[in-house]
Amino acid sequence: MSEFHDNYPQYEVMSNHSEEDGKKARRTLWNVFWIMLVITIFELIIGSMAPGHGWTGTLWLKVLFIGLTLVKAGAIVLWFMHLGHEVKFFKYVILLPYFVFMCYTIFIILTEGTYSGQPGKFAPTNKIFIEQQAALKNGHHGGAGHGAETPHEGEAAGAGQHH
Amino acid sequence: MAHSAEIDSKDAWGGGQSPFRVSYGKMMMWFFLVSDALTFGGLLISYGFIRHKYAEVWPKAEHVFTHFPFVEQHLPLAYVGLMTFILIMSSVTMVLAVEAGHRMDRRGVTIWMFWTIVGGAAFVGSQAWEWFHFIVGTEEGALRDVWSMETGSYVRQIFHGANMVTNEYGVPQFANYFFFITGFHGTHVFSGVIINLIIFLNVLKGTYEKRGHYEMVEKVGLYWHFVDLVWVFVFTFFYLL
Repeated sequence: MSEFHDNYPQYEVMSNHSEEDGKKARRTLWNVFWIMLVITIFELIIGSMAPGHGWTGTLWLKVLFIGLTLVKAGAIVLWFMHLGHEVKFFKYVILLPYFVFMCYTIFIILTEGTYSGQPGKFAPTNKIFIEQQAALKNGHHGGAGHGAETPHEGEAAGAGQHH
Repeated sequence: MAHSAEIDSKDAWGGGQSPFRVSYGKMMMWFFLVSDALTFGGLLISYGFIRHKYAEVWPKAEHVFTHFPFVEQHLPLAYVGLMTFILIMSSVTMVLAVEAGHRMDRRGVTIWMFWTIVGGAAFVGSQAWEWFHFIVGTEEGALRDVWSMETGSYVRQIFHGANMVTNEYGVPQFANYFFFITGFHGTHVFSGVIINLIIFLNVLKGTYEKRGHYEMVEKVGLYWHFVDLVWVFVFTFFYLL
């Protein structure tokens, strides 16, 4: 493969660096690792505390988790994948189309996905799932339903609605 | 990193060099990663959409994922936290292998790539363990309408575990998305381990010493970091939110 080489600069070899630069690079990498570890542990602690304190489903919790995830993603792309060392235009070539696509997809699914906005309207959720969640909320772990519905009543409901 | 200096656009696009000052292989790996990221992005957005639709009945991850190997008690999210740590750790060892490659330190590359492969294999094994427990389910199970061949209709009975049609944790889409997204991601981890293994063997052979650079290690390193990146998002959307 090395015979097939135009008169292009050898970028592969140009990115080699000395022992000193290596030491600095390694220190940066380990620092990024510690940051990632601290953020992940923090997320796990908040995540396990959330149900007990009733934080589940709150807006600030979602914003916190998504924000921290974006921070971790940025750290990986910038320092582990070395995109931060690349030419600015190349950074844009990689990141901008992706963000545009993601923003567009999220926007379009929120504005056009109206059929799914009302869960009960077109295909009512099977009551079995609602009961299971209610039972779990009342503290019965692993809610095997309390046999609330008799089999033939449930059968009619299930047969009509099973997706 | 001499090539991080900004270049005049006339020089950049005038020919005779890469306008991005990167080699062809690295640039194409980045382009591939963008396409793969779009796939995962689409999958995760669709997951968010369906999850929102069934928000009232979607199971809580802290209740479903409570198993830990060799431990009897319920430890919510502990094992998935360990998996995240293993994958981030393997990402660190991978970038250290790349850094060693930049110093033409063959021994360093060997050691760090070895640990990356071990970490990757540990993650795949852990994910298989999670799937096993997810599919087998709990002793209590849950009441479900299960299709019965004998009666030719749905029968309400206690169901354990998960398959592509029914699961004991919640609506069918919960298991479907779990299998699809973690499975698709796990396939990427597995293929990454295989690719890393091949490059590792090349390092042992001395292929890159002869070539004068370890850029192949950097390219597979990009793929490996992408796999870690996707897991960070999967971890947040599936297990935390």
